[in-house]
Amino acid sequence: MSTVQVRYIVNDVDTAIAFYTTQLGFHEDMHPAPIFAMLSRGDLRLVLSAPSGPNTGGGSTLADGRAPEPGGWNRFAVQVDDITTKIAQLRQAGVQFRGDIIEGTGGRQAIIEDPSGNPIELFQPTRPEARLSGG
Amino acid sequence: MTADPLDALRLPVVPVEPRPTFAADLLHRIQHAGSPARDSATVRYFVDDLDAAVDFYRQLGFDVELRPSPVFAMLYRGDLRLLLSIPSSHTLADGTVPGPGGWNRISLRVEHLDHIVGTLRAGGVRLRSSPSTGVGVRLALIEDPAGNLVELFEPLAAYHERTGGETP
Repeated sequence: MSTVQVRYIVNDVDTAIAFYTTQLGFHEDMHPAPIFAMLSRGDLRLVLSAPSGPNTGGGSTLADGRAPEPGGWNRFAVQVDDITTKIAQLRQAGVQFRGDIIEGTGGRQAIIEDPSGNPIELFQPTRPEARLSGG
Repeated sequence: MTADPLDALRLPVVPVEPRPTFAADLLHRIQHAGSPARDSATVRYFVDDLDAAVDFYRQLGFDVELRPSPVFAMLYRGDLRLLLSIPSSHTLADGTVPGPGGWNRISLRVEHLDHIVGTLRAGGVRLRSSPSTGVGVRLALIEDPAGNLVELFEPLAAYHERTGGETP
């Protein structure tokens, strides 16, 4: 059951659903409207919202006219068992990367982008007791 | 010599070959049991000022788990692990430095949303969007001191955790 919720803004919800389910193992829980979908992977629920008009939910244009958009650097992490194999598989599928593998204190990381340019952190812990520590 | 009639009921003793691969696999399963699901709910935010960010997230019910260096902190709120990183510690090989901001966000379920938002606002927290009513939820967008977005939502009567009620 999902207990943590993260919202990503995406330009095209259908394209995003295909990406997250095919490349990262998410399950599509619901897609009740063209501008919204709810996916899950373990304890993580990922809600996808497309930029939309005022008072339309998570992708709403604000009262002052500002509209949400994809991108930025904040991200959720997906733990993988073998980051080298996963990277090769994603590159084969044409997935965009930001930089190369980063050797962190507790593991190896790589940043990929979804079709809208949102970052996702791939993480392979190298120390069981650390399981994603500093840096 | 007459055989013991009970021999027919006794289990034969079969020598067991040591199987190192089985032992190694078992050890691996025990060490990793239950951990992947918990580790899947990890989010990283970039912040300019670690002290200010930690103080802010503690207001939202996060506990500090680790503060091992001046550039990193690990916080928990329920099953959500929030990693706070100073941007320069994540500079890419080409020199690109990450930064706070954007529209993607964690979404925290709260009770008494309007009261919480009022309290936060009185404490100087910036709102990007005042509480508004969506489909099944009431939600507001606040910013941490670095400008990162946090969504607070409170379920309404129509909310359903599993199949719907989430605002589109």
